Amino acid sequence: MSTKEYFLPRSAGEAVQLLAEHGPSLLILAGGTIAMPLINEGVSFPERVMGLRHAGLSGIGQDGGTFTIGACTTISQVLAWDAIPTLQQAAHNVAGWSIRNMATVGGNLFAPPPAGDLAVMLLALDADVKLANSTSERIVPLKDFYTGFMITALEPGELVTEIRVRKPAGETVYTKFGRKKANTPSVVTVAAHLMLDGDTVKDARIALGAVGPHPFRSTKAESALVGSALGEETIARAATLAAEECEPIADAIASEWYRRKMVSVILSRALAQLLN
Amino acid sequence: MASTIVSFTLNGREVEVIAKPLVTLQTVLREQLGYTATKSGCKKGGCGSCTVLLNGDPVMSCLLPVADIAGQEVVTLEGITPVDGLHPIQTTFYEKFAIQCGFCTPGMILVAKALLDRNPHPSAEEIADALSGNYCRCTGYTPIVRAVQHAAQQMATD
Repeated sequence: MSTKEYFLPRSAGEAVQLLAEHGPSLLILAGGTIAMPLINEGVSFPERVMGLRHAGLSGIGQDGGTFTIGACTTISQVLAWDAIPTLQQAAHNVAGWSIRNMATVGGNLFAPPPAGDLAVMLLALDADVKLANSTSERIVPLKDFYTGFMITALEPGELVTEIRVRKPAGETVYTKFGRKKANTPSVVTVAAHLMLDGDTVKDARIALGAVGPHPFRSTKAESALVGSALGEETIARAATLAAEECEPIADAIASEWYRRKMVSVILSRALAQLLN
Repeated sequence: MASTIVSFTLNGREVEVIAKPLVTLQTVLREQLGYTATKSGCKKGGCGSCTVLLNGDPVMSCLLPVADIAGQEVVTLEGITPVDGLHPIQTTFYEKFAIQCGFCTPGMILVAKALLDRNPHPSAEEIADALSGNYCRCTGYTPIVRAVQHAAQQMATD
C-alpha cells in the first residue's frame, strides 16, 4: 500500500481546511464502499486520503420545514428514519446490511451507475445538496449537481456536507428493478413524485437510475404527465418518452436494449400504483 | 506520515496495534493479530466473508480503515465461541448442514447473531434479507436459513 498519510478530521471545518491545503489529490473516504475496493485491488493508490467518519457530518435534523441529512449519515440511519417512507424503501434497496451500515448518503451521490439508487429517490423528492469549502457554503439542487459521468458541480476544495429534503407534498413511488430480490445491482431504478388534483397531474418529477451517465430527471416524461389526467394512456406516453430519453449503460447486469425496454415497463408499473 | 498506534476492544479485550496509513481492520485482524476466522474474500465489500460486528452492527472489515474504529468494540467469530464448546448458532450450522467449504460461515454466523440480538424470532424472509450481503457458493442458502431459524428456537428455550 502506497498511502503515505491518512487524515481523520474531527470537524467539517477541519475537513475543508485539509482539502484546501492538499487540493484535488486528496482522496475523500466516507463509508469507504466505493474507494476502498479500488484501493484494495490496486486500481487506485492515493498518497493522501481523508476519512470523514469522525468529521461530525452524520445525523438527521430539521431546519424549518426542511430535513437536513448529514453527508456521512449511513444508509442504515436513513432506513431507521421514518419521516419519508419511500426514502426508507429506497434505503432498504441499497446493497446488503453490512454495506448499509457503512455507505453514506453523501457518498451515494458519487456512486457510478448502476449504483447510486438512493439519489434517484432524492431527485424525485427535489433534494438540495449543501457544499462547503474553507470560506463559504452554497446550496445547489441535486438535479444540477450531476454534470456528467462521474462529474459533478463540485468545485476544487468543496465538500458535500449535507443533503436537504422536504416532506413530499404529493404522492411518491419508488421501484428498484434488479435480477435478484435483495442486494442487487439495478437494471433500472425509478422514483416519482406526483401532485394530483383529482385525476389531473399538476406537477411531476420522474427520476431514473442506471439508465444514464448519472441519476437524472426525465423531463420529457414529466411534461407528458403534467396537465393530463393520470390514466393508462398518459402513463404509456410518459413511459415511452422516458425510454426514448434515457441513455442506458450496458454491463454484466443488463444490455442497453434490455434496460431501455425495462425503463418503460417499470415506470409504467410504478406510476400505475398511483392510479385510483 | 509514519504509522499510528490504534487501540480498540477486540472480543472484550483491549488491543493496541501499530497501523500503517489506511490499513484495514481485516488486515490487522488476520496478519497482525492472527484472528483468521475473519476471511479475506473479494476485498470489495461484495462477498461478506470478512464481516465482523462493530459495536454490535455487521460491517465489512475489508473496507474499514482500522484508524476509524479507535476506542470502539469489535467482535469476531472467535469472540462468540465459548472456550469449551460452540455458540448455539455454530451448533445448528453444524447440525443442519449449513456448512460445506466453510469460507462464508464466520460472516454468516456473525450476521445471524446480530439479527437474533435484535429480532429473536425472525421469519425466513427476514433471515434471507439480513444475510443478503453474504455469499455462499456451496449450500444454496436453504440450510443456512433453516439453521438460523433452528438457532432462534434453541436460544429461546435455553
